[in-house]
Amino acid sequence: MPQTSESQVAMTCREAMKARTFQCMGTVMSLTFPSGPAAEGHPSDDEIAAAAAVVERLFLDLDQTFSLYRPDSEASRLARGELALRNVSAGMRERYEEALDWRHRTEGAFTPERSDGVLDLSGLIKGHAIREAGTSLLALGRHDWCLNGGGDVLVTGSPKHGIDEPWQAGIVDPEDRGTLVAAYPLGAGRKHAALATSGSAERGDHIWGQPGAARAFIQVSVAAADIVTADVLATAIVAGGAPMLDRATDCWDISVLAVAADGQLLATPGFRR
Amino acid sequence: MKARGAVSAALASAGILLAGWQAGAQVAEIRRSVVATSAGTNAGTTSGGATSGPGSASSGSSDSAAAAESSGSSGAGAAAAGGGTYAGAAVQTRFGTVQVQITVKSGVITDVTALHLTDDDRKSVQISNRAAPLLRSEVLAAQSANVQTISGATVTSDGYLTSLQAAIDAANL
Repeated sequence: MPQTSESQVAMTCREAMKARTFQCMGTVMSLTFPSGPAAEGHPSDDEIAAAAAVVERLFLDLDQTFSLYRPDSEASRLARGELALRNVSAGMRERYEEALDWRHRTEGAFTPERSDGVLDLSGLIKGHAIREAGTSLLALGRHDWCLNGGGDVLVTGSPKHGIDEPWQAGIVDPEDRGTLVAAYPLGAGRKHAALATSGSAERGDHIWGQPGAARAFIQVSVAAADIVTADVLATAIVAGGAPMLDRATDCWDISVLAVAADGQLLATPGFRR
Repeated sequence: MKARGAVSAALASAGILLAGWQAGAQVAEIRRSVVATSAGTNAGTTSGGATSGPGSASSGSSDSAAAAESSGSSGAGAAAAGGGTYAGAAVQTRFGTVQVQITVKSGVITDVTALHLTDDDRKSVQISNRAAPLLRSEVLAAQSANVQTISGATVTSDGYLTSLQAAIDAANL
């Protein structure tokens, strides 16, 4: 299946892990657990299958409601004007309120409205789905896992059961997606459990630059305690450039790695070796 | 002795106020308060200065006040001239290591500067967490063999097949 990078990551499987993947929201979600004997506290294959099924169901349900690629979704009916905002479901209203709150907190750098005025919550909904999936996994009693939603990562615990080591998340080099530009530790007592990356040429281009703002960064990665904060701020910094980057690092407890258009890296101290 | 007392108190209160600043107070407020404190001290005791900061409730602040006070006293020879720049000791607060420097002109504090701030305890992010240019060799190591997951701008389902994440997943299926 993968051809370019297998050798590069061959070493990775020295830590025994089990991964399950599924397609949703136009990309692929990966759910990874440390694996080993059930007697040592590792999840059984059945438990992994059950956890993956719960997560997949949750993603599919949210996609049914919020996808603008599905003509029959609530979001599509809202976009076509068949449904008034005051008549939407509670779930739609909550996400809309959350998106407006983020627009306010980012001074407009993050916005739930497309340039044509259509409400598009896709910049928020994947992060929300990952957040909800994480809550479900914890409720299922799973305390070591990594959930990767198309490049946005939320973890808890460690990649090896019973060992207090963080997960290491690599960040793709936007100029060569087969290599990494940095790594960042998540989970296992570290202050950040989530890492999200946004690029200026993202699928669907759900990032819209603020008027007059040059696209200073081609890729921005944000580590935060929660996935929605990481995801929204990564999007906002790509859209809002250097002023939004400074505002984000001043106002939130985050680490940021930004790749400028000329390849120059900007990073907060948390990314320094 | 009067000037010496003023510097001691100012350094002490600056330490407190800097802690308050890290907790979210405005820089402008600090400067106003420090000047006011300094004036009050000229007329009275150093302890008066130690109570004026908006962030003075924490235990870290009182540690910082004590250390800065003693340091200010040791450098008081210059203060008698009525002007100059004075540095307090580097002290541990609950926000990290803090050291303040004050500039005095004609007995009035004209500037307060944070000389030494680290995020050792990862809480002083309000001040020291700005992103700065970095060489690729200076960022946290990025060996593919040492990571368990990959963050990147969203790829399509088709693009996933040739991605690093797909390679990691394939190794663990």
